[in-house]
Amino acid sequence: MSELAYLTLHETSELIRGRKLSPVDLVTAQLARIERLDARLHAFIRVTPEIALAGARAAEAQIMSGDWRGPLHGVPYGLKDIIDYAGLPTTCHSKILIDNIAARDSVVTTRLKAAGGVMMGKLATHEFAIGGPSFDLPWPPAINPWSGNAGTLHPGGSSSGSGVALAAGMLPVALGTDTGGSVRNPASMCGIVGMKPTYGRVSRRGVFPLAYSLDHVGPMTRTVRDNAILLDIIAGHDQLDPGSADVAVDNYTADLDRGVRGLTIGLARHFYAEDEMAHPEQIAAIDAAAEVLRGLGAEVREVRLPPNAEFVACNRLILRSEAFAIHRRWLTQRPADYGDLGRQRLLDGATVSAADYIDALRLRGRLVQRTLEAMAEIDVVLTASSLDPPCRIDDAEAVARTYPRQVRQPFNVTGQPALAMLAGFTTDSVPLSLQLIGHPFREAMVYRVAAAYEAATAWTERRPAGL
Amino acid sequence: MDREDVRRQAVACGLDNVAQAHLEQFAQGVRTTKELAARLPKDLHWTEENALTFSLVGKGGRR
Repeated sequence: MSELAYLTLHETSELIRGRKLSPVDLVTAQLARIERLDARLHAFIRVTPEIALAGARAAEAQIMSGDWRGPLHGVPYGLKDIIDYAGLPTTCHSKILIDNIAARDSVVTTRLKAAGGVMMGKLATHEFAIGGPSFDLPWPPAINPWSGNAGTLHPGGSSSGSGVALAAGMLPVALGTDTGGSVRNPASMCGIVGMKPTYGRVSRRGVFPLAYSLDHVGPMTRTVRDNAILLDIIAGHDQLDPGSADVAVDNYTADLDRGVRGLTIGLARHFYAEDEMAHPEQIAAIDAAAEVLRGLGAEVREVRLPPNAEFVACNRLILRSEAFAIHRRWLTQRPADYGDLGRQRLLDGATVSAADYIDALRLRGRLVQRTLEAMAEIDVVLTASSLDPPCRIDDAEAVARTYPRQVRQPFNVTGQPALAMLAGFTTDSVPLSLQLIGHPFREAMVYRVAAAYEAATAWTERRPAGL
Repeated sequence: MDREDVRRQAVACGLDNVAQAHLEQFAQGVRTTKELAARLPKDLHWTEENALTFSLVGKGGRR
């Protein structure tokens, strides 16, 4: 069973296509694994075995009759529970929306269904993708499968259930969302791959908003190739999403094996060793990754982007304003129905002045321009994602201290594609991470560099113990 | 700000149904928002227009 659990999407797909693996057998085994593990990991808000088995049977019949639809056909997936799946509740992990049944599929759900994916369930998040980890909500927070000697660890958020389900081998692929880093944070903490694509690359229609101008939907997987395959499926223009971009979609797997020789990597070291000091093992891991890429033939040179503090102020003021506007009615009428952290973070936006919001938007334009100018001769930027390895989830002070120590918000502000991935382990055997950032709509280049790094290291072969 | 100032400001924001504990959270939000706003640049020129949030699509055009 554990062999099946950790098959990649690519491997699974090849087996299914070759009729060496039955989607029904795969889904049955994955459901059993979820039942065995989820009582302690809490990755799922709702498992959907009836939908999963019906989907697996349909996929199997189609494939046996020669109608193979592509790499997701017959493969299990999960959705962060702010993404609509028709007929199922979209709770946003909150009492506020506990009875909110989705009337129709989100656009990304429609694309996953069309690709033949098998829906396994809705995944835990921080409340409304902002308030967590919290123990005062209708469902417990997800637990990091790498918990062990270091205690019961925070899996990052807000796409926490997605990260946990992947790291624990409960799913091969999942979707998350990212407004201030919520795909890349659990990817970093759980030792997987999370891509925040370019703003507008993936439709957000049917996804509960946190902040309209910063929200992204992104693929989460255990390998870079799987991530590229999943983005191939969900990317594309949506005329009914006001933020969607009418830009041609690349083939994201085409360049994965091209290596990095001849590319220029900008090392934004100031983000993790000057603006703020990251954990020493995290600094060492990113510096070592730079050496790996140099050894593979890339030119690695330091690059200086605007200070993280400017991005943070910009991101936070925009996020707070837009999120408060969305939640104001409920905060007025039902404030006690939010969890403590969610209420705090949403109330934070109540007094942002209109002038400060507009100035944050104007600053955003300046930051985009300065960042792209600094990257003019650079293919991809390498820097930190999290500044610290995961802390204990039951240590509120440590969660509060490490929550803002990250370098993800800059790329929600600029809208550039940004990928977080495993970059080694601490001496306590918990994941370290790095982040790669590309030019707008150049996700393929980010994947190319990430794939080269992944192939040159053996990090993704390690599994959490005791599962 | 004293407790009554906080309550008045919360009511001005439409938050007239919050408990004392929620008002303390509101007051914390007021403080941290001020800190963030203070970090905005003071040299933004009037020509630096905010990112477009509104646009129209012409007949037969695509957004």
